[in-house]
Amino acid sequence: MTGIGAGRLAIELIEATKRYGETIALDGVSLGIEPGEFFCLLGPSGCGKTTTLNLIGGFIPLTAGELRIEGRRVNDLPPHRRNVNTVFQNYALFPHMTVAQNVAFGLRMARLDGRETERRVAEYLDLVGLSALRARSPAQLSGGQQQRVALARALARRPAVLLLDEPLGALDLKLRKQMQVELSRIQRQVGTTFVFVTHDQEEALSMATRIAVMSDGRVVQSGTPREIYYRPVDRFVADFIGESNFLEGHLAADGGARRVRFRDGGAVIVPSELPVGLARAGAVTLMVRPECVSVGTTAPEGQWATLTGRVINVAFLGNHTRVTVQTAAGAVVTLRPHSEGSRSAALDGLLDQEVCVWWSPQESTVVASDTGGGADGSLA
Amino acid sequence: MDPIQTMPVSPYARLVRAVLRTWALVVLAFLYLPIAFLVLFSFEESRTPGLPITGLTLHWYEKMISNGILLGAVWNSILVAVAATTLATIIGTMAAFPLVRGGIRFPNVARILFTLPIMLPGALIGVALLLFFRRVLDAELSFWTVIAGHLVFTTPYIVLIVGARLQGFDRMLEWAAADLGASPARVLRHIVLPLIAPAIMAGALISVTLSIDEFVITFFTVGPQLTLPIYIYTQIKFGVTPEVNAVATVLLVGTMAVLGLSWLMAGQARRISGLIGSRGGAGR
Ligand SMILES: Nc1ncnc2c1ncn2[C@@H]1O[C@H](COP(=O)(O)OP(=O)(O)OP(=O)(O)O)[C@@H](O)[C@H]1O
Ligand SMILES: [Mg+2]
Repeated sequence: MTGIGAGRLAIELIEATKRYGETIALDGVSLGIEPGEFFCLLGPSGCGKTTTLNLIGGFIPLTAGELRIEGRRVNDLPPHRRNVNTVFQNYALFPHMTVAQNVAFGLRMARLDGRETERRVAEYLDLVGLSALRARSPAQLSGGQQQRVALARALARRPAVLLLDEPLGALDLKLRKQMQVELSRIQRQVGTTFVFVTHDQEEALSMATRIAVMSDGRVVQSGTPREIYYRPVDRFVADFIGESNFLEGHLAADGGARRVRFRDGGAVIVPSELPVGLARAGAVTLMVRPECVSVGTTAPEGQWATLTGRVINVAFLGNHTRVTVQTAAGAVVTLRPHSEGSRSAALDGLLDQEVCVWWSPQESTVVASDTGGGADGSLA
Repeated sequence: MDPIQTMPVSPYARLVRAVLRTWALVVLAFLYLPIAFLVLFSFEESRTPGLPITGLTLHWYEKMISNGILLGAVWNSILVAVAATTLATIIGTMAAFPLVRGGIRFPNVARILFTLPIMLPGALIGVALLLFFRRVLDAELSFWTVIAGHLVFTTPYIVLIVGARLQGFDRMLEWAAADLGASPARVLRHIVLPLIAPAIMAGALISVTLSIDEFVITFFTVGPQLTLPIYIYTQIKFGVTPEVNAVATVLLVGTMAVLGLSWLMAGQARRISGLIGSRGGAGR
């Protein structure tokens, strides 16, 4: 059914824009989603995630731009003719039908014959582990079970793309973790392209093959979880996902290696590859993740970015210790895991000591300071 | 504990409460005592009912059943009620959609215009219809004019009841159905209509009870035919007979039964919407 379509995108948004009167919900978003991906749309509330999903589902019309599903322009196609299905945030199960009838609904609408419908209902209820509850009404199900019915109902039509709008949002933490694992398994098993909306960065990092980070109706960055985490294009992304040290300074060419020089003294080596547009010297922000930063009384030999400073706080956090060092570049936070026995006790003694902090230049990222969070910093 | 229960109260509170309770009983008695006597007198042996009761009999009911004119009137009333209700249900349900879901220019004005006939005096509607049929359309008064007259006051109830149900309808269910491949017509057929069916039924049953015993508007719009309320009225002119009491009792029981049924329907509608409301967050 899908065809060979090598290199054909499952979903393609081209300069997609959605306006509600004066409000711009989506501002010229371009995105390509490959077949078989588990693609996450991640961003704070109101950034346009649901809008994007509703556009793909066909529930709201585009103001401008183009939407393609499996290579075909579908701007004007009504929802019931699109080869995508949706798992709604509140599940939207039909209250006057049983679990099995809910799952069968989409198949009836596709005019599948009775035997095939029955077979598929059984197959997909089995996939989500609800075969025993097929005769129940939705009201007799727990939140997690309703969620699974919604999933089976959408998957039973074997769509090219499955859209999920914060499907785990209504579940409590434990069930949520369980369903994350479950969803990943189901996605691998059926191989359908998933487009998953969440504002939970951990959920996105753990499940997605690729993530698009959105802000104010734009896609700020898209890439694999690792790229997003270790190579954020700007301060917004670095701040939104995980924790990061932000050190303000100036980019300076310094003999061979380029460095970031800080106002109160000190300089560190920067990655050999810098974002395009940062070739000229200027105000920059250097970002490095706390777990990439080491701390000790003396810095090791070699190509490290090193700063000296004074330990102002040591916090024991169970499986790791958090050390805050005041340096010329500002406060630098490091997270040290407790993997090597007595290491944590040794860290306690560092309080008020003069120490060095160092990291590999390749694990830091430099962006221009004056960009307030725009989309201009693509990685070289 | 609820603060209202431990609040210091006036020393006369007990007295006030007793007086109010008595007053409520008096009002209820005033409302229902005449009906109770009507039922009682329908079983009275004597031709001139009154207190004290002389004896109980089913004689008047037998007489009622063998009265051809009366049965004809009942049959006419049922025909009118069914025809008017069917039309009112279709028109009212169709009207409720744009009224609730917008897509019309002046929704509030439209809503008031659709429900105003409930508030208008029956005599006014009756006279207006009579003038309209006779002087504007130049039509003979007949069965059809009665049905048209009944539409005027039954349709608003359908609009109100179905509209209330649509108001609370979760549009996401329609999105979900469309998402699963249902065309707009099939969304209506498989999702919307089944879910608002209890409200439509409740509205229809109320419409039947209203139509069956409507007197004023029928009186102005009816031709030579007799409906049940008109029959009772003509009989009463010659004095109350126990037979009329029997007819009224049957009418009362029938109306109560239909209202009870519509109440059950509405309850079912509420239960289903309760399910819709509790979906999602309730899970554990
Ligand atoms: N029907 C509408 N009319 C007007 N503005 C709307 C409408 N729907 C969405 N918006 C606006 O569009 C923007 C994006 O909304 P959207 O629902 O896509 O956000 P979201 O990323 O899904 O947020 P959340 O995480 O809170 O669900 C918001 O500013 C919102 O106020
Ligand atoms: Mg949303």
